[in-house]
Amino acid sequence: MNSIKLALKMLRRDIRSGELTLLIVALLIAVSSSTAILLFADRLQRTMQHQAAEFLAADLAISGPMANDATWQLKAGELGLKQAQTLEFPCVLIENQAMQLAAVKAVSDNYPLRGHLKTSTADFDQETLSPHGPESGQAWVESRILPALGLKLGEQLTVGEKALTVSKVLNYEPDKSGNFYSFSPRVMINEADLPATGIIQPGSRVHYVFQLSGQEAAINAFKDWVKPQLLASQRLLDIHTDRPEIGSALSRAEQYLGLCSIVVVLISGIAIAMTSRRYSERHFNTIALLLCLGCKRAEIFRLFACQFLLLGAAACGLGCLLGWVTQEGLFYLLRALLPQTLTSPGWVAVFFGFISGMGILFGFALPPLLRLQRVSPLRVLRRDLEPVSVSGWLVYGCALGAIGLLIWRQTGDLQFSALIMSIGCLTLLVLGVMVYLVLKLARKLFKGMSLSWRFGLQGLLRNSRASVVQILVFSITLTAMALSFVIRTDLLDNWQQQLPEQAPNYFALNIMPEQQSALQTDLEQAQIYSSKFYPVVRGRLIQINTTPVQERVAKDSQGQEATQRELSLTTSEKLPEDNKIIAGEAWQTGKPGQVSVEQKLAENLKIGLGDRLTFLVGAQEFTASVVSFRQVKWDTMRPNFFMIFSPGTLDAYPSTYLTSFYLPARQKNELNSLLKKYPAMTVLEVEQILQQFKTLLAQLTQAINLLVAFALLAGFAVLFATVTATLDQRILEGALMRVLGIRIGFLRTAQLIEFSLLGGLSGLLAAISSESILYTLYTRLMQMNYQPSPYLWIVLPVAGAIVLSLAGYWGVRKVVKQSPLPILRNL
Amino acid sequence: MQYHSDKKTQPIIVTKNLGKTVTTAEGELHILSSVDLIIKPGESVAIIGESGSGKSTLLGLLAGLDTPSSGSVSINGRDLASLDDDSRALLRNQIIGFVFQAFQLLPSLTALENVMLPLEIRGDPQAENAAKALLERVGLSKRLSHTPAQLSGGEQQRVALARAFVTQPAILFADEPTGNLDSKTGTQIIDLLFELNQGQSTTLVLVTHDPNLAARCQSSIRLEGGKPV
Repeated sequence: MNSIKLALKMLRRDIRSGELTLLIVALLIAVSSSTAILLFADRLQRTMQHQAAEFLAADLAISGPMANDATWQLKAGELGLKQAQTLEFPCVLIENQAMQLAAVKAVSDNYPLRGHLKTSTADFDQETLSPHGPESGQAWVESRILPALGLKLGEQLTVGEKALTVSKVLNYEPDKSGNFYSFSPRVMINEADLPATGIIQPGSRVHYVFQLSGQEAAINAFKDWVKPQLLASQRLLDIHTDRPEIGSALSRAEQYLGLCSIVVVLISGIAIAMTSRRYSERHFNTIALLLCLGCKRAEIFRLFACQFLLLGAAACGLGCLLGWVTQEGLFYLLRALLPQTLTSPGWVAVFFGFISGMGILFGFALPPLLRLQRVSPLRVLRRDLEPVSVSGWLVYGCALGAIGLLIWRQTGDLQFSALIMSIGCLTLLVLGVMVYLVLKLARKLFKGMSLSWRFGLQGLLRNSRASVVQILVFSITLTAMALSFVIRTDLLDNWQQQLPEQAPNYFALNIMPEQQSALQTDLEQAQIYSSKFYPVVRGRLIQINTTPVQERVAKDSQGQEATQRELSLTTSEKLPEDNKIIAGEAWQTGKPGQVSVEQKLAENLKIGLGDRLTFLVGAQEFTASVVSFRQVKWDTMRPNFFMIFSPGTLDAYPSTYLTSFYLPARQKNELNSLLKKYPAMTVLEVEQILQQFKTLLAQLTQAINLLVAFALLAGFAVLFATVTATLDQRILEGALMRVLGIRIGFLRTAQLIEFSLLGGLSGLLAAISSESILYTLYTRLMQMNYQPSPYLWIVLPVAGAIVLSLAGYWGVRKVVKQSPLPILRNL
Repeated sequence: MQYHSDKKTQPIIVTKNLGKTVTTAEGELHILSSVDLIIKPGESVAIIGESGSGKSTLLGLLAGLDTPSSGSVSINGRDLASLDDDSRALLRNQIIGFVFQAFQLLPSLTALENVMLPLEIRGDPQAENAAKALLERVGLSKRLSHTPAQLSGGEQQRVALARAFVTQPAILFADEPTGNLDSKTGTQIIDLLFELNQGQSTTLVLVTHDPNLAARCQSSIRLEGGKPV
């Protein structure tokens, strides 16, 4: 028998009759979202790899907080390598009464060694490729600086103490990294002009990069030579480094998007499983007949496997296409975080998306399909003969297997994936049991209510398991949407509101020691009251007692972050007012070499009282003993530190001063004159930083929202799958009730109540989940007082009830449409 | 495998002490017991009895759709118990045709495709022509491309008849073929059934409680409480 021909015929007819519509839709949703993420990650990875050299603007780079070693330049010359260097630092620019924080980059003549800069001489003019940076006396600026400072091309821009001519607009630099300062607009100047600006002083916060290019052998030779010399604070980057600086924001985004897509796959998978089950049940008679007519079981299996393969291939193909489109959308939404040139999407990722789709289809559809193998031909004579259900373990095993593989692919870590799966399953189980109990309880509560309410509830309890699944599915989606909304709008606003009224709104850093007292006087004269001036030395913790610090920290913890970068170290006679000593004692006066550590960091790094901590400042090391742990309130907007040392500990090292102050809006102009007087000083406006964070958060949440929309669609697929599965029964019941005298209006009301209850319960569960997650976010992560979002408790259940009642109502419209008698005749 | 029979002498269906018992919550239920049958080729036999007398069960056993709890069924001298699943399927395709009370047409196929199906299972290249011819014989030449949903009950049963006869079966089993039809249409179907049978000398085994139908058969077996009387 020609299985393929018959399979195609049956498939075509089934599709046309609408039998497989939901299955196809659910599969499309699953494949689109997982392909989108696969493509996104793959494209990012390939961009990094293929353009690594361009991203470094060199073949090899050494970055760090210290000026580059002169011996490096000699060695590089010896090996015949080309050299360049860049220095990056924040700087406040003031022109025409306007103020703008900028990220200044001073570049040497050879920069960039690889790739090109792109500039233009007017906003929408033709772009020119420049093989090197600005000449001495000139500045190239990012276009948004011009309107911010009211400048035009050709006019003068003062950087520190040096006036430069703004000659070009800088559109693209190859090695712009995704760190915090990349949000400030770029100003590029020539290295030769740097001394005249007066900004760089010992102790200033500068990011140095030494760049090299040349033959691979010479590069490797230099790499081997310099590696042992590098300090912990210096980083060697070459084109083989896995993830050159794309910024933690982007890698976090990728992680969240990946996990979101797995949730989408899970929900779609449920819809696929339900529709496959129904499809399978509706084909029992067909199979019995085919067996009766002489078809062998193997042939029948081939017939249905064929159908699903064809269906799967078509749906996965289309899904991959949609995934491609979605991935473009994701890149558009996250464009501010991304490198400016991207490689085109890869076919391997699309292929994987296709394979994943087929895997998802068979993972969720196989168990119901296996049941088809158990149909007896005797069913042609005895319709009641049902094939035995496939083992529940097989069903859940296949589904969990499919999901597990996806999670593993996302995280790349088997242990972590197993952890996520276990936590996820446990959470769902607990929530599922809770919902089930609530439904059972509802039955008792509803006893005294009107008939339509009881019928509505009956509809929900008809198949409790399916109802529990639906409620869980929708509450997950609603929770994701709620969190996305609250995080974007409320979180930062609440944080700002918790600040005391005249909390400092500006930070001043990089204040030169010799200018500190003059500045303090000037501030007092201007009636700007600042907090204490703290001396700041940039240093890195490298050792606890005799253990290098990397061996103590847990991956991705706060502790690890604190040990991978330079900390601001300070000394003080007395600890800040709002720091509370919770263990140990204040220092003995006159004794340097004592340190007080912030409590949470100490816990993360497992530091004990009396431990000896070794720090690296520049190329020098020093050690201090831990005498106390402090509880710190980070959100007072006054300077706060992880490490505070006893007076005298840091005297040997160059330092700058740090303070914060409150400046009302009307006095903003006074700041400009101060900045002109102290050009090396950097002033950070808290409002501006917050604004940048808000923009970043908005973009991230937009990208995640795209996937949440998929999840919502998948949720609807589950709803319709459930409704369709019960449709025949509903139609029959509806017909019987109408024959017994119940009005159509009553039936409609009962349906509305049923789906409103479904939606309302989902919304309520979503509100509980959201608040729990937000509570953890506020108290653990942001260390703020918990701010409940009361509107969630109203909006979510109501929104859930409305949306689900509309969707469900549409799904069961057939129930009251047909005349009851023909339905009953067909019994 | 081809099943040939010396139609004139060898019985085509033989049962010996055939029985079917099922276990229920209330204990063992004897649906059929001690059924001994010999049916000759070309014979028409009606199995009659009231609801629950075991008629459909007997039909299922005779057709190899079910396995007996006791006794044996032989078709053309071969004991069905000695055949595996696939062999029984082959047997059905080669020499058995079926007509059901509920027509049992595949809803997603047209009339023509439904009739072609048994021949397609066999891999017969002439399936389409043979199907067309038979549909013309049953008076549905203008309804080839219609699906079962577009046909009346009587028309659907005619398609089912065409499907049953398209393989020129040696045995035709019919389970209440007029059960879902009004008496006029039912009579038409029965006339058609016997007309088609005449041309092919098929052995007919019919389950029915229509006395007119039973009367047109050469012999009948009455079942009461699972036993022949």
